[in-house]
Amino acid sequence: MTLKLYAYGVIDSNEKMEESIKGLSEASVYNIPYRDIGIVVSDLDPQAQIKNEESIMRHEEVVEALMDRFTILPMRLYTVFSGREDLLLKVKDHYEDFIKNLDRVRNKAEFGIKVIWAGNIIKERIINAHKSESPSADPTRAGTKFMKEKFEKYKIDKEFEEEADRCIAILDGFLNRIASEKKIEKLKTDNLLLSASYLVDNEKRDDFETAFEVLRNSQGGDLKYLLSGPWPPYNFITLSHPEDGKLGGLDLVETLLQHKSSGRER
Amino acid sequence: MDRPIKVLQDKKSYLDLRRQEKVTLLEILDRALEKGVVISGDIVISVADVDLVYLGLKVLLSSVETMERLRGAPMPGATEEPT
Amino acid sequence: MRQRVETDSLEIFAGEMEKVKDALPKKIEANPENAEKGLAKLVLTLIELIRKLMEKQAMRRVEAGSLTDEEVERVGETLMKLENKMKELKEIFGLKDDELNLNLGPLGDLM
Repeated sequence: MTLKLYAYGVIDSNEKMEESIKGLSEASVYNIPYRDIGIVVSDLDPQAQIKNEESIMRHEEVVEALMDRFTILPMRLYTVFSGREDLLLKVKDHYEDFIKNLDRVRNKAEFGIKVIWAGNIIKERIINAHKSESPSADPTRAGTKFMKEKFEKYKIDKEFEEEADRCIAILDGFLNRIASEKKIEKLKTDNLLLSASYLVDNEKRDDFETAFEVLRNSQGGDLKYLLSGPWPPYNFITLSHPEDGKLGGLDLVETLLQHKSSGRER
Repeated sequence: MDRPIKVLQDKKSYLDLRRQEKVTLLEILDRALEKGVVISGDIVISVADVDLVYLGLKVLLSSVETMERLRGAPMPGATEEPT
Repeated sequence: MRQRVETDSLEIFAGEMEKVKDALPKKIEANPENAEKGLAKLVLTLIELIRKLMEKQAMRRVEAGSLTDEEVERVGETLMKLENKMKELKEIFGLKDDELNLNLGPLGDLM
């Protein structure tokens, strides 16, 4: 049975790896070179069970161990190739992207800030505050009931959105001058107001952590701020040909052109 | 290079070890499940089971942290609650 | 053929959606690369966008207090119909909510 290749990340080195790092299922991790970069993998038994906590932690441990020695673009979890040829084809396909990303993240690490609050309590508060605006028509009628519920949701969404934006402005004030890049996700769950990622130069790391402490101490009330890091730069990888299945602007055009040129053939 | 703590918590609140591990796992999943270099290996591994774990942990993070820390903290404008 | 969508014409829009449902190909192959599924995705994304804009518009009218009780009931019924129609369409094409979105690069997602 042929072994597959489990990939951990793309590094800016085409050298053979000196020390031995153990990957999933205790397999040794090694570097497959391509021009001036390399993709770090370990052999994987296709029958091996890897959808567990242990493998997830191991994936991360390997990436972080590599991060100490190289600049690394961490692979998404569970990226597996059937063999070297397939893998190298993929790397060739994205080579320019990899080079650009490696240059961008060199000597930097990712930090995450999560801002949480008691979403349910806030929702109640909002609904109560806006009771007078809600449609006053007979709530037993289906259309009216629908509108009342939609209106409540609308008010909640609106205020949540405003609160998230306010929070972003605060974070920006403290952190924009320190971080090189940032990515912010608003309102991922009811209790997660904001999930922000920052790409921070190694030399500015202390500044960043200090700024965070000052920020957190200056804010009271409903919000709790959680800092984590340093992380490999998962959130700062940009590919010009993303393969995540989401319909993008260019794909849109291609889809339309495809449909047009294939005509009525089914 | 030395490795600082992965998850910096408020020194005033206490996270027990088990919960901290969960939070760390959540933070890892939050990144590694959907981000990073996203190219399809020719072997596609569904992340369905892992998604379930992830969702569970997300609830853990949002509920435990929030409730623990915010319980008892008086809401602006509300009357004082006992801590 | 150019069509203008007026956010007040909810009933007309609901009717149009019925026609869209009939116009789209019924058989969609499992292959996600399939151009037909891609097209269905695109069309439904745009419809979903319009539907959401209409809902938002209605909410703003409620906020401003510019709807009578009867109007609230009628608009509510129509929006409900639209929402159910979308659910049907999503089911028919096996599409989930987060699939009906467009990534606009640096501008983020459409919805």
